[in-house]
Formats: sequence, structure tokens, C-alpha cells
Amino acid sequence: QSQEQAKQATPAPATFAEDIAQRRSSAANPVKPEPPLEVTALKVWGRTDRFVHFEKEVEMTRGDLRLKADKATYRFLEDEAEAEGQVSLTRNGDCYDGDRVRVQLERRTGFVENPVYRLIRNHAQGQAKRIDFLDEERSVVHQGTYSTCQGVSPDWYLKTETLQLDTGLDTGTASRSVLYFKDTPILVAPSITFPLSSARHSGFLPPVTGATSKGGVEFGLPYYWNIAPNRDVTLYPKIISRRGLQLGAEARYLGEQYRGESTLEGIVGDRQTSTNRYALTSLHEQYLMPDLKLSWNLNMASDDNYPTDFSNSITKTSVRLLPRDLQLSYGGSFWNASFQASGYQVLQDVNAPITRPYDRLPQLQLHAEQLDVGGFDMSVDTMLTRFWHPDLVRGDRAVVAANLSLPFVRSGYFIKPQVSVHATNYHLVNPSAKQDADAHRVVPIFSLDSGLVFERDTRLFGRDFTQTLEPRLYYVNIPYRDQSRLPNFDSAPADFNFAQIFTENRFVGQDRIGDANQVTTALVSRYLENDGSERLKLAVGQRFYFNHQRVTLDNAPSPSRSDLLLAATGRWSSTLSGDLAFQLSQSNRRAIQTSYSVQWQPEAKKVLNLGYRFQRDSLEQVDISGQWPLADRLYGVGRVNYSLMDKRVVDGIAGLEYKADCWSLRFVAQRFATSTTTSNTGFSLQLELTGLARLGVGGNPLEALKRNIAGYQSVSER
Amino acid sequence: CGFHLREPVALPFSSIYIGLPVTSPLAAELKRQIRSTSPAQISDTRQSAQVVLEVLSEKRDKQILSLNSQGRVREYKLIYDFSFRVRTPDGKELMDTVNIQLSRTLTFNEAQVRAKEAEEALLFRDMQNDLVQQVLRRLSVLKPEA
Repeated sequence: QSQEQAKQATPAPATFAEDIAQRRSSAANPVKPEPPLEVTALKVWGRTDRFVHFEKEVEMTRGDLRLKADKATYRFLEDEAEAEGQVSLTRNGDCYDGDRVRVQLERRTGFVENPVYRLIRNHAQGQAKRIDFLDEERSVVHQGTYSTCQGVSPDWYLKTETLQLDTGLDTGTASRSVLYFKDTPILVAPSITFPLSSARHSGFLPPVTGATSKGGVEFGLPYYWNIAPNRDVTLYPKIISRRGLQLGAEARYLGEQYRGESTLEGIVGDRQTSTNRYALTSLHEQYLMPDLKLSWNLNMASDDNYPTDFSNSITKTSVRLLPRDLQLSYGGSFWNASFQASGYQVLQDVNAPITRPYDRLPQLQLHAEQLDVGGFDMSVDTMLTRFWHPDLVRGDRAVVAANLSLPFVRSGYFIKPQVSVHATNYHLVNPSAKQDADAHRVVPIFSLDSGLVFERDTRLFGRDFTQTLEPRLYYVNIPYRDQSRLPNFDSAPADFNFAQIFTENRFVGQDRIGDANQVTTALVSRYLENDGSERLKLAVGQRFYFNHQRVTLDNAPSPSRSDLLLAATGRWSSTLSGDLAFQLSQSNRRAIQTSYSVQWQPEAKKVLNLGYRFQRDSLEQVDISGQWPLADRLYGVGRVNYSLMDKRVVDGIAGLEYKADCWSLRFVAQRFATSTTTSNTGFSLQLELTGLARLGVGGNPLEALKRNIAGYQSVSER
Repeated sequence: CGFHLREPVALPFSSIYIGLPVTSPLAAELKRQIRSTSPAQISDTRQSAQVVLEVLSEKRDKQILSLNSQGRVREYKLIYDFSFRVRTPDGKELMDTVNIQLSRTLTFNEAQVRAKEAEEALLFRDMQNDLVQQVLRRLSVLKPEA
């Protein structure tokens, strides 16, 4: 009973490391009262204070140590039990059935000969020539096997010379071992470390084998190093047959005031290019003071082709601009400020060159606002930027924008008149013939936003809903200013969507302020469930122009359009959800932009996605993806993203996943476009043995599946 | 056809603590909306509030939605994922964990990357406003025990 009380008094360990320390100290604690030894047997004899000999149906118990045998002897002086014939030993919940056992009851040391063992954690099992118990937590398995499969003939097992098990550190370390899969040796390893429970642990991750059209055969064996609960490193060496050995490392860290992750990978002496190649990414966020934050996002590659040559993932190869950003920001009570330096590394494709974006070296921003001062909301935004470019016009730009609005908000309606002044000053270093070295522009802006909210109770799909009806009217007036002599550092026409139609400027960025005398109307209807959640949202919006727009960008004519927007999004039923968006040009009655997507997820690990996307003169694609059980334990996964315009598969992935009780096998083949003329083709194969290696991060087929197939769930997830 | 102007709905609690950093723009918008639509007080500490909004996760993600035939990104899907639950200061659950996921489409072109950065920020702000409305609607049907 006293032990139970002691257990309750011990607080739950906060971290894994603490847990170990706590258990180590309690094991070493000599004052722990030793429970009495209890023995039952059919036949007993012995000498007082020397030994007792037991025979037939012997059962010895001391605490959680239990010994069953045909014959056993207990020696008082050594506090030792020795047993023979059909011996079964239970120790810390783990079971050992063997021929002969000797164990010191209090010190928990001893050995068992020719045992078959089962460990309580991880449900691991195996057999051995001999197991030595070093103390309560550590033991050594000699010439044994280890597997997390159940039954007498495991699908996979590890055959080891010695295997050290440490339940305190939660690790198994196998020396000189051979891994058998279906009784075939597949891997010889001088040393393997693996966790004894499902806790996060250092160790090898499932190896990935495969081949790509560019690199040839590949073999990667990632190693996960769990330094502390809030810090880890994954090393991912990879042999690429046509290139050489690529090394990579990913580090992650998390603290009270900071967090970040960095990846560095590279290859010394690529055999294809005879150069050293590398790539680096680093993300970091840190609070230097409660209100002062430092952050960076740095990305770098040794050459233009690094991602297309080395990445098996389209998420890497499709990105041609690598951002480099450093930011210091301060957030005060009614104002915030930031200092930022940013640029991009451009990975050029000779067939489709990219104009390098401007670097901002640096940009200073100040935002201040005061709300509800006598009913008025006020804000001021200031932005000072030095734009740098090796070839184009360089210069400094200062922007000050002040807003004053008088919002009148009630539950059923709102009216929000707003006046703003947008003032900009340019100082150009190398103006072109059409530009002045110094230019400035002041634009007053008036807008009036208003809306009503109606509600009613209704039924849909046999359920009660609250349906809202929200008409909205938004008027903007911006007088014309000639901006044809101003440079374009960071502006572009904005996408036409429901967020944009309720903003003042039809351009994004600060270099163009579009003249406007326009009204936007929209009608939104929502279906709300009783718990307040939004089930369905239908929206229609249109903008009407009262005059012809004159402000243009890069001398492209500004189309005088008043397109119609339609959107519907929501969950149609518990398994079916969908998204529809449609933009129709009112001038020629043609679709400008269309997208439909439907997801059907009848149950876990069963999903189908269907999508169609269209952008006039730029994109028309069909996208089908899904995960579906093909047979018991066998799942098919796939995605086809087909460009109707180019009659070409932009991104295709097909895979098979098999999930057995103690292992899973994953095969993934991929083909994706990397430039106008080239595609990457490749496949990868991954065998995951449960309990031997934890699921990996980065660069594995699982990541490709998760990225490509919305709603995908790994078969090995429990 | 049964529609009527929305009636004023008072939030069914007298004070709330919002478990987000003071510098969070989402927290600022939530507090502003609560103050403007309801007499409920915003508490500075958990213990002094009647109900506590606990944020379990707030994630912003950017996924590739479509590529052109050169394998370059032409559309991104911006995702705002937010999970929260509401409890009393002593930990009693008042509402199951709520997950709200919003997404918007952003067209992309390398030549306009600076403008697209600004547009991305605009869309995230739009989603944030939408999110605040959805959170408020969830809060308005809360049933804190007397």
C-alpha cells in the first residue's frame, strides 16, 4: 500500500528526459521497500538460512517478478533463484520462456537460457540463445531475433549477434545484425538503434529506394536524431548512381521565444556537371523582446537547375524564385513598425526567362491606427522603400496613406463612409527617357460601403438551418492622375475576386492607383447550422463602371470590364464537399476564369477529388486524384493533372500501398513537367517495418502523396 | 419570403479571455468585433473571465494548385486553418473543439511576384475577417452554465 501512495505522490513527468531521470532515480533508490517473496510448490525441502528447493508447479512471486518452473532453488545468502525445465519468467511485464533461469531477486540481475521472449512495449518478440539481465531496465540478448510481428513465423525479423535493450532509455541497439523480410535477408547492418515504444526517438527512418530519369538509381537512408523534446535533426544521405553521394540535414528547434528550421543539402563533385552543388533553406522567428520580433526566410541554390536535378517533388521544382528575407518588426499598442530587407534568387530557364523582381533594400513600414475616437476610425500607413535592380530603373519611393472612416454598425445593417489621401514621392537614380528623376502623386479616395443582413429559418437536406441574405453595396470614387511617367516597382492588376471587389484600388502594389467611379454590388447567402457553423455559402457579385478607366500599367490597355462573379462553397452532405467559382465577362459574355472542385470522402482512407480549372488564354486543366482500397489491406493512390491546352500531363502520380500488421510497403511513380521541354520521371519504393523505424520527414514518397492528393491519409497511421 | 433583418444577438457571457498573443492580428480583430457587437468584456487574464477561448492551432499554408506546361506555378491555394475550444477558467468544456478551414485561390506569375505578395496578404486578411465572423457565430450559441 505504501508503494501505491508513493506512486500517487510522484507528479507526472513533463518531458521524456525527465521521465527517464525520474525512473532511473527511483530504480536506484535503496529505501524502496522490497515486497515479500511468495512461493507455492507441491514439494519443498531445504536447510534453514541456506537454501530451499522447490519441485512441481513452482511459482515464485516478488513484486512484479514472477517465476514459474518445474524445479527451482532459492539461496538466502545470494538472494538468488535458480530454475530449470519449462521456465517462465515475467519481469516488468515482459515474458521470457526458457530452459534455465538464474535471477537475483532484489538486484534484478541474472540470465535466462534459450528463451522465447515478448516485450510488453511495442509488442515485440523474439528468441535467443541467452539473455542477460544487467539491472531492472537493461538486458542483453545474445544471438537472438527481434520482431514486432505476432505469431510464430514473423514476416520480418532482425537476427543479431547482440541486442541491448534499455527500457529506461527506450532504445534497442543491435550489433552485427541481418534484417530478414519473408525469410530473405534484405539488409546487413553493423549497428541499428530503434525505439522500444512508439515514442519519438533517434534512429534510422525507413530507407527509400528508387530511380529518376535524371539521376539514375537512388538509395536514401535517413537518420532521425531526437536531441531534445523541442529539437531534432534528420540526416538524409542519398546515393544517386549517375551523380554521387548527396548529403542533407534538416534541423528543427522550438523554444519559448523562438522557433525555426533549416535544411542544408549538397553534393561534392557531381559526376554529371563536375561541380559542387548545394541548396540551403532557413526559416527563423524570434521574439527579442515581448513586442520585438526578428524573422528570416533564406533560400539559396548553387545553380539554376539544382531543384529540377535533385528534387523528386514538384513543390520544389515548380518554384523558380527563392526568397531571401530579413525582418525586424515591432508591435505597439496602437501602432506597429517593421524594417525589412528582401530579394530573390531567380532560377532561370533559358527557354522561358523570368524578369528578375526588384530587391527591397531596405523597406521601412509604419502603421498606426486609432479606433472609435468619437465614432471615427483613423489609420496612417507609411512606407519607405529603396528599390534595387541590376538592369531596370532604380530608386526610392515614399508612400503615406491616411484613412478616416465613420463606421455605423448594427446587427442588421452597416454603413461605412471613408475618405483617404494617398501620397507618393519617387526619387529615381537612373530614370528612363520617359521618366523624371523626381515625381510625386497625391490621390484623394472616397468610398462608401454598406450592407444589410436578413435572416430566416429554413430547411435544407431535411435539416433546420438559418439562412442569411446579405446584400452589399460599395461605391468608390478616385479621380484620374496621369501615372504613365511613374516606374513600376511592385504593382500589377489585381485578380478579380470577392476580396478584391471590395477594395478601392484595382491594382495591387503602390505604383498605380486606378481612377474609379464605380459601384460594386454583391449578394451573399449562408446556410448556418444550429451550432453556428457555416454549411454552405452562395455569393454573386458584380461591379459597374460609370466611366472609362484611364490609368494603365506597362502601357497595356486597361479593359473596361464589369465582370460577374459567382461562387458556391460548402459541404453538401457529410461526405461530399465542393467549391465552384465562375467569372463571366459582361462585355463579351465569355468565361474569364472558372474552377470547380468536388471532394467525396465516404470514410477514412477513401477519398476522390475531381477538379477543373480554367483561366482564359493561360490555363485549362483537369485534375483527378484519390485514394481507394483495391483489396483487403491494399490501397491505390493516384493523381492526374492534365493540361487540356497543351495536351500534356503536367503532374502525374500513381502508387500502391500495402499495409500488413507489422509492416507496410509503398510504391510511388511520378512524372511531372520541369520546363517547356523536359519532364522528370521517377519511382520510389519504401518498406516500413513497424517499430523498427519511425515514419520519415522530407523527401519521401509519403510527402509526395500528402501534397498531391487532398484528403490522403497514410495507411500506416493508426 | 420569411426574411427579416437580423436581430441583435448578445453574446451569452459577460466576459471572455482570448488565448492568443496580444500582437496577433486575429486577436485584435476578434476583440474589436466583440466590443462593437456586444456588451461582453474582454478579460486580460484567464482567471478573471467567465469563459476562455483556447486556440489549439492557427496555421497559414500555401499550396500549389495548378502548374503550367513548363511546370511553373500558376495558381496557389491559400489555406487558413483555425482550431479552438471554449472552456471555463477551471477547465470545464463548454464547446467541442471547432475546426474552421478557409481557402482562397491566388493566381501567380513570377514577373509579378512583388504584387502577388501584397495580394496574398489581402486574401489572408479577407479570410481573417471571414474567420472572425464564423467564430463569433459559434460563440453566440454558447451555453455557459449560470
